[in-house]
Amino acid sequence: MSLLAIDVGNTHTVLGIYDDGRLARHWRIETDPARTEDEHAVLVRDLLRDAALTGAAMSCVVPALTPTFRALCRRYLALDLLVVAPGVRTGLAIRYETPHTLGSDRLVNAVAAWERTHAATIVVDFGTATKLEYVSADGAYLGGVICPGVRIASQALFAHAARLASIELQRPPQVVGRTTAHALQSGMLFGHVATVDGLVRRIQREQGVAARVIATGGLCGLLAPESETIETVDEFLTLDGLRIIYERNRGTH
Amino acid sequence: MGKLLVIDVGNTHTVLGVYDGPTLVQHWRIQTQEGRTEDEYGVLFRSLLSGPESAGLGGAAVACVVPGMNVTITALCRKHLGLEPLVVGPGIRTAMPILYDKPQEVGADRIVNAIAAYERTKDTTIVVDFGTPTVLDYITKRGEYAGGVIAPGLGVSSAALFARAAKLYEVELVAPKQVIGRNTVHAMQSGVVLGHVAMVDGLVERIQREQKVKARVIATGSWAAIVAAESSTIEEVDEFLTLAGLRLIYERNQE
Repeated sequence: MSLLAIDVGNTHTVLGIYDDGRLARHWRIETDPARTEDEHAVLVRDLLRDAALTGAAMSCVVPALTPTFRALCRRYLALDLLVVAPGVRTGLAIRYETPHTLGSDRLVNAVAAWERTHAATIVVDFGTATKLEYVSADGAYLGGVICPGVRIASQALFAHAARLASIELQRPPQVVGRTTAHALQSGMLFGHVATVDGLVRRIQREQGVAARVIATGGLCGLLAPESETIETVDEFLTLDGLRIIYERNRGTH
Repeated sequence: MGKLLVIDVGNTHTVLGVYDGPTLVQHWRIQTQEGRTEDEYGVLFRSLLSGPESAGLGGAAVACVVPGMNVTITALCRKHLGLEPLVVGPGIRTAMPILYDKPQEVGADRIVNAIAAYERTKDTTIVVDFGTPTVLDYITKRGEYAGGVIAPGLGVSSAALFARAAKLYEVELVAPKQVIGRNTVHAMQSGVVLGHVAMVDGLVERIQREQKVKARVIATGSWAAIVAAESSTIEEVDEFLTLAGLRLIYERNQE
């Protein structure tokens, strides 16, 4: 069995192929809602080459791209794409008040994380937005937190502050910056990590439980090592969640 | 000595205040707009300053972080108010040693805040200014300005979230009842407001640990009240800290 997993985020789209439950290959491309199904197909088919796919599953937070990928899978890959949306079987009890505004990536992350821990868990996804999800010990998804991601927040600052110039996101020598560049790097890196650590602790306090903490997302490699609360990093957590959801829905969609 | 006009030009807003001695008798907030001329600002300033509480201005002090605005503000003070403004920058006496690798690089508002805060505490202090960026400045027990942290502010970072994330939309910036949002509006309010509180508290704690001190923490700026209400580290809020610092610097330069 060979599964194509597609995670369409606001900035990047990540594609992966699972062979018998194992991530065999993966790619990252820009998310561009204006790109047509045929343009996407040229790109995707070139990356996939001769993969003999038997299924496809997608999480998409950019509504305009859902029909594009659905059509692409049908026309070019002869696959019926499973799109994660309300009604798809996830294995979690969803206790969100507005399931129709719940980003599917959030739910997919929660599914993958709980599958690993089977305990109260917080997932942190460092993407365009930094998102925290909470799954209780009995496997109920309770909701979470959506923060501005470190890149979009920094870009917004540089666009609005006349004397602050754009600077690379990397670790400064110490927290108290003695140059403007170091002060900015401290604010971006340590500031964002402090946001996440503080929110994790507040959730643990609110729920009265020392939840496990798993991180994922494009920037987790840079940010997670500075965190005091993140225990595990899995760059491909969202793809893995798609694989799990696909297996739970096989033959039903 | 007459009354003092203080002008704090930030990236988004400019705050004006009038001091009669040590007392702030009036204050206003206007947009910072680089395209506006000294004459347009002159009309606005003269109108705001027309009340009795502003009668008898004898001086002006300015802190400005928008390079293009320096000339405009200086010109309007001269032409429309007949005042020669003191512009905080290199060469101005502050009585605070600046332990920054390039002292001329430090934003004027940061030094002004540091001076006002240290004047109150005479102790190790962290000032948090919630403006376009959220800036933390660290002042040693001996009253040296030792640098700080510049992070994306609450307003710009939340606007970026609403603009860039296709399925999200603007929400009111208030703290939700609980941290875990059970709907998307509460999840964003939690992330934007409580996330910012967590950032500031975490940075304050990291600075204290790194510098091996327990610092006093004073907050100012547009979001100070909202954040301070949820913060575990901010002890005191002074909405007009920057204005108070401008008054102190002005006085130190009259001697």
